[in-house]
Amino acid sequence: MTTPRRLSNVPELLLPLWRTLPWRALGAAAALGLLVAGASRLPAGFSPWLALNALRAAALAFALGLAFLLDDPARHTTATVPTPRPVRQALRLALVAPFAALWWTAAVLLVPAEVRPPVGAVTLEAATVCALALAGAAAAIRRTDEPEPGVGVGAGLLTVAVLAPLLWPDRWELFVTVGDPEWADAHERWGVVLTVALVGCAVWAREPVRRLRVRSPLT
Amino acid sequence: MNTLIQPAPVAVRTEPRDSWASVFALARFESRRLLLSIPVLVAFAVHLAWIVWHTLDSYDGFPALQDADRDTQSPPMLVGLAVLLTVNLAVLRSRRRDTDRHFDVLVVTTWRRSAAHVLSVVPAALLTAVCVGVQFGWEALKPGAVGHGSPGELLVGPLTVLLFGTLGVLLARLLKSAFVGPLLVVFFLFFVVLGVAPGDTESGTRWLNPVVGESSSETLPSDLLGRPAAWHALYLLGLGLTAAVLAVLAGGGRRVRTLYAALGGAMALTLVGAIAQSGGEPASLTAAREKATVDPEQTCVQRGRSTYCAYPEWEPRVGTWAQVVDEVSDLAGGTAHGQRLLVRQRVEARYGLSGDGALQPSGTAHEVTVGTRWGGPRVPEFSSAVAAVLVAGNEQAGSELCDGRIVTVMWLALGWQDQPMDALRKVRLDDSVSGSAIVLQPTDPLSMSAAQTDVVRTLLTRPRGEATARVKEHWSELTAPGLTTARAAELLGVKGITEKDGCQE
Amino acid sequence: MTSTVSASGLSLHYGGTRALDDVSLRLTPGVTGLLGPNGAGKTTLLRVLATAVPAQRGRFTVLGHDPGSTRGRQEVRRRLGYLPQTPGFHPDFTAFEFVDYVAILKEINNRAARHREVRRVLDEVDLGDVRGKRVKKLSGGMRQRVALAAALVGDPGFMVLDEPTVGLDPEQRMRFRELIARAGEGRTVLLSTHQTEDVAMLCHRVLVMAGGRIHFDGTPAELTARAAGRVWSSAERAPDAKAGWRTGAGTFRNVGDPPPGAELLDPTLEDGYLLTLDGHGLAVTA
Repeated sequence: MTTPRRLSNVPELLLPLWRTLPWRALGAAAALGLLVAGASRLPAGFSPWLALNALRAAALAFALGLAFLLDDPARHTTATVPTPRPVRQALRLALVAPFAALWWTAAVLLVPAEVRPPVGAVTLEAATVCALALAGAAAAIRRTDEPEPGVGVGAGLLTVAVLAPLLWPDRWELFVTVGDPEWADAHERWGVVLTVALVGCAVWAREPVRRLRVRSPLT
Repeated sequence: MNTLIQPAPVAVRTEPRDSWASVFALARFESRRLLLSIPVLVAFAVHLAWIVWHTLDSYDGFPALQDADRDTQSPPMLVGLAVLLTVNLAVLRSRRRDTDRHFDVLVVTTWRRSAAHVLSVVPAALLTAVCVGVQFGWEALKPGAVGHGSPGELLVGPLTVLLFGTLGVLLARLLKSAFVGPLLVVFFLFFVVLGVAPGDTESGTRWLNPVVGESSSETLPSDLLGRPAAWHALYLLGLGLTAAVLAVLAGGGRRVRTLYAALGGAMALTLVGAIAQSGGEPASLTAAREKATVDPEQTCVQRGRSTYCAYPEWEPRVGTWAQVVDEVSDLAGGTAHGQRLLVRQRVEARYGLSGDGALQPSGTAHEVTVGTRWGGPRVPEFSSAVAAVLVAGNEQAGSELCDGRIVTVMWLALGWQDQPMDALRKVRLDDSVSGSAIVLQPTDPLSMSAAQTDVVRTLLTRPRGEATARVKEHWSELTAPGLTTARAAELLGVKGITEKDGCQE
Repeated sequence: MTSTVSASGLSLHYGGTRALDDVSLRLTPGVTGLLGPNGAGKTTLLRVLATAVPAQRGRFTVLGHDPGSTRGRQEVRRRLGYLPQTPGFHPDFTAFEFVDYVAILKEINNRAARHREVRRVLDEVDLGDVRGKRVKKLSGGMRQRVALAAALVGDPGFMVLDEPTVGLDPEQRMRFRELIARAGEGRTVLLSTHQTEDVAMLCHRVLVMAGGRIHFDGTPAELTARAAGRVWSSAERAPDAKAGWRTGAGTFRNVGDPPPGAELLDPTLEDGYLLTLDGHGLAVTA
């Protein structure tokens, strides 16, 4: 038996993998996000504060869609294929990334320029919440046998998103408004959270070769 | 004895019985799962924690219940969103886990299962009502509580939970995907909780939102609020019932005739509530507000030497006002010591709750204004108004003080307090105890110069008896127009003050 | 015969439960049956051997490769066919597309060759006629065969089948037995089941598992022989029997220690299985 070159099956894999992506969830999430961002064009108009929170809500909506990205009804059937799990998960992400970028551009452009918050900073926030959703999904896949943990991950992300602004300590303020002197510092913190979330994605994507040894009681 | 094969337990036979009993049994089962689900548990925990945190020192211990009832409305939205999410997923559970095929042939039909899901929301709403009751009861039991709460306002919290829950069931029956629930929560979070509702905040359409806040922090007599609370509760109830009946209809009940009648009734309730609540403010209310502001009907009582006129709901508070007046008078010397005052409660009610109005100082001799709020900074504020009237003769003159008499006024206002430095900090707008600052009063504010502040601070750190004796000894000079701050300092034995006159600042 | 799969000291604990407790075994080409009551650890053993979960202790090799490293696991997976207990599908894929998708994941990259292979395995599981049908339109038995085709694709040297005949009607089960028997020609197949007939008809070896341990390892005939002289017939329910039930003929068939002079019956594999479990104090609920 000849050993195939590593990852040589990627081109063949793209199309079927594309078909397994949760497009309905992503589409609904994207539509809601655009609706929220588009509300800033209503005649009543948005304050800069509301425009910022509209983009945050839009990003949260899209992240909820991404929570379903790693759902795979055929998980058990394909549990032991030679194509490694991190590769399969990375391909899913790669397939959805251009769509996400396009969507975010549209959402940002929907907010009128005069009330639009600094684009780089909100993009950082959006990327962070999306990375948190993916890290949660990867963790759920890694730690449970559930083929489709998206609902639970989404509910968890939502709980965190509602509680974090209420309970997050003021010392490490994250949810600042435009013009707040803490704005730059807060976004450094967002960067830290993003890094942690990405590391979480990478760590939880890996399949363990060995289970941590549980110390057995002395007999 | 058989060791390998154990006897099976006796089976429970299903028997024909009242199918509504099975709906209630299923509702109990579902509501138990709902109340024990993580989002709902977290939401109730946060709600209770918020109640404790908020109510411990809300209104500085002197709540007006017509304000406190509105405080119970926003936090239940969080519970409502958690219930919406959980009940939505619970309805879809059967589809997600592919048990529809088993359940569809059971005795309890699909529409009855939908009804059970709708009913399972009720205990969460009742538990919210308990939380709201605890919060409001706590406020009402505070010794300083006055006024009347409105049942309509108190019902908003539980009815919001009911509405969100039934919407969760309805949307699960309409859109059968698990991702709809979380997305809906984001939608509600943004458009309802953040208050991004289409329409003008002044117009009647704002009442279409479940929770309607007010931009003013003014406390008005309860009959002048002009909030259609009862109609709004009816509207929310109708909306919740409409969503509930629609959920059962969409969940397999299309053939059940009585549901259509129920739908008609629920929609009628909603419409009646919606129309009645958006009627705007009647002319009689505008007239009543005008009268309460300009020429209020008040009952006046005599306490000690002074007379106190209050809106009927605030009569229990006369005693606390009298205490302050007596304390300030005790510190005063000369004729002011025995001066009879008229303390009149006033409020600017003409703008309703849409904006704050300022009160003009009264020109009547020996009349002091007291507002509708009390506790915390309001006590030294009122105290300084009493002192200013004792020193200057009336409020109008008192509010124009700028010379050394400010020292006398502030000493009278603060000298009797248990924590005078703390009171000084509270009464000043910028919470400082040095430098110049604005001093708030029920009507127009005073301003203190840096030197005046220094003198008052020094006096407040001295033994009370010594300072009181000096003030009484030099009373006529300390209240004479044209007194400089430096002279006042000298009379009171405070050294190092060179400022001639606070009015020049 | 040389062993293709050998494991020693495999252990896996979930909380306080010992799903696998120091399991050692050797598998040779042909079909090996794995019997045991629910919760015996059968599925866990299969998942460990199929590299779906790692064991906490112990090691094993499959066809000369050690899955204890990422590279080794990769090599094992290239030679592995796995049919899980609850296979899942992408319901919108056709049977062909789904097996093709698994074949791509199994790194069969040449499209023409892969399509040939997919058609071959679909024919082998008798789904050639419905390969263009969406999975969600197929019956339960057909779906089970799609999953078997996905396990078979790529001609794996080691197959792990977790209760493949559950939920199939007798005719489908016969067909499945044929398929598995064919798969066992030249391959190593480990088959977990509750059906003692499956084992009796298919397997050259049988393992009996309970409480995370292997309690019997031998041929089906040896397992049956354990019950020789311990099965008897009686007119009334025998109070001393380990197990007893009324047969269609109206008499009781008893397993255990027969009273003197009892009318002995020929034992079956199931009798041997029950007595093996009984020897370890394990009860089976009727």
